[in-house]
Amino acid sequence: MRFKDFLRDKLLTISLLLFGLITIEIFLAIYPIGNFIKFYIPIILLVLYLIGIVIEYLSKRKFYENVFHTLDELDEKYLINELIKTPNFIEGKLLRNVLEQTNKAMLEKVNQYKYLQEDYKEYIELWIHEIKTPIAASKMVIENNKNAITKSINEELDKIEDYTEQVLFYARSNTVEKDYYIKKSNLREIVNECVKKNKNILIQEKISINIHDLDVSVNTDSKWIVFILNQLIQNSVKYRKEENYSEIEMYTESGKENVILYVKDNGIGIRKGEITRVFEKGFTGTNGRLSNKKSTGIGLYLCKKLCDKLGVAIELNSIQGEGTEVRLVFPQGSYTTLENK
Amino acid sequence: MQKILIVEDDEKLRNELETFLNNNGYQAEALKKFDNTIQDIVRINPNLLLLDVNLPNADGEYICKQIRKQSNMPIIIVTSRDNEIDELLSLNYGADQYITKPFNLQILLAKIASLLRRTNIGINAQDKIACKEFVLNTDKSTIERDGKEIELTKNEFRILKYLVQNRDRIVSREEIMECLWDNENFIDDNTLTVNVTRLRNKLEELELKELIQTKRGQGYIYCN
Repeated sequence: MRFKDFLRDKLLTISLLLFGLITIEIFLAIYPIGNFIKFYIPIILLVLYLIGIVIEYLSKRKFYENVFHTLDELDEKYLINELIKTPNFIEGKLLRNVLEQTNKAMLEKVNQYKYLQEDYKEYIELWIHEIKTPIAASKMVIENNKNAITKSINEELDKIEDYTEQVLFYARSNTVEKDYYIKKSNLREIVNECVKKNKNILIQEKISINIHDLDVSVNTDSKWIVFILNQLIQNSVKYRKEENYSEIEMYTESGKENVILYVKDNGIGIRKGEITRVFEKGFTGTNGRLSNKKSTGIGLYLCKKLCDKLGVAIELNSIQGEGTEVRLVFPQGSYTTLENK
Repeated sequence: MQKILIVEDDEKLRNELETFLNNNGYQAEALKKFDNTIQDIVRINPNLLLLDVNLPNADGEYICKQIRKQSNMPIIIVTSRDNEIDELLSLNYGADQYITKPFNLQILLAKIASLLRRTNIGINAQDKIACKEFVLNTDKSTIERDGKEIELTKNEFRILKYLVQNRDRIVSREEIMECLWDNENFIDDNTLTVNVTRLRNKLEELELKELIQTKRGQGYIYCN
């Protein structure tokens, strides 16, 4: 707020004052009065008015500078109203009042959507829990009636199960609150669970599993990591070289500050220019457009999102025609280690 | 025979579970009404209880808590909720194990067996599998015939046990591999061939020839 602008705002009162002074001076010039009075009246009026105007300017400048400064520093700018003091002049009070009301209205609107979203998420979770019973029942029927046909249905059921799982985690990945539970988890157990989960397709497609150096524990939510690994394994299965010997290798490397879990395959790999984009939502790339791959562009996007929430770094490297390597980096250090007290 | 009580409100799942457990050497029974669940469970007093969490009238966690007040029977909670917190909660209510739908049946069987083994020390029903020609010692992983005992590796033992359990039926290579994978031996096709060959050699040492026959393109069959 510059003084010049402030003065311009006061232009009307200043001109009225000057006009008044000029008329007074004209009257004074007509009547025989001493020169002292003739000078004293305009000077004292002007000086007093000036003092008033400067004081007003300073107090307003202080207030607005504070407002803008706070605004700059705030990440969530709509909270500004909570942080400014009530000023002693009317426009400032009005400004606060307006801010307060608009904020309140906006919060209500935002909350409305928040509840809608939570509602939806709850419904999705409920639905997923409901659908699991018929899936379990179907699997029991298959187990009690094993033959080539039911085996093939079983494979499709596995896919349904995976897709429902994906929906659940998608719903979870979009909420603000923490939905995970961090505890010490053994990576061997996690990897074993994932391999077991995919055993039907892995055995069917004759994909070898090579796992080693996995006896490491990290602090994380094992259910989430199982889901993420599951997506990676499914990708490796999906994008294998059909005519070749396929292998998925999983192992860890422990560094000073982290534990890295590697998931490596010898599949078709990813084109160089597309590697940076694989974590984007809906990105399918050249591989996704190959016939019968049915790429949705959701799997890796979700992995990345869940990893971000868990504080795990996910990195992907690939050479087209040779294979893909995904690294999950679990931070491990004094900062993240839970101490038993 | 060990009695297992199934408390599950989904009729189909309940019936199939009953069939499945009956086929696997247990005496399974299922509750069909859920008005008096707690009393019914206590009255039947099974060796093990499979308890669904979502039930009409009372939820599984409440039932679990109430039963714990009166009985020490092993309880496996069956649920479709699969986050860590739910798991922790149900263990807090006094359940011994927790399995999520849709469950891996081999894992379910393994959990049941291990719980029963722990709670029925002295019965040791599953320690030995006696076949016509030989005895399989589950605890030592050995095979015995006429006083001669040979040690088998973990894989060989599991393969033989699976074949014996499914005798007189062709068992595909995939099936055997799935069984081994369930036990966290992620072997590939070649390793399976090697394992079967070694197993045959060991059986021959006990003068048991041609017990395991190869059916080309289909798998193996154990017959005596």
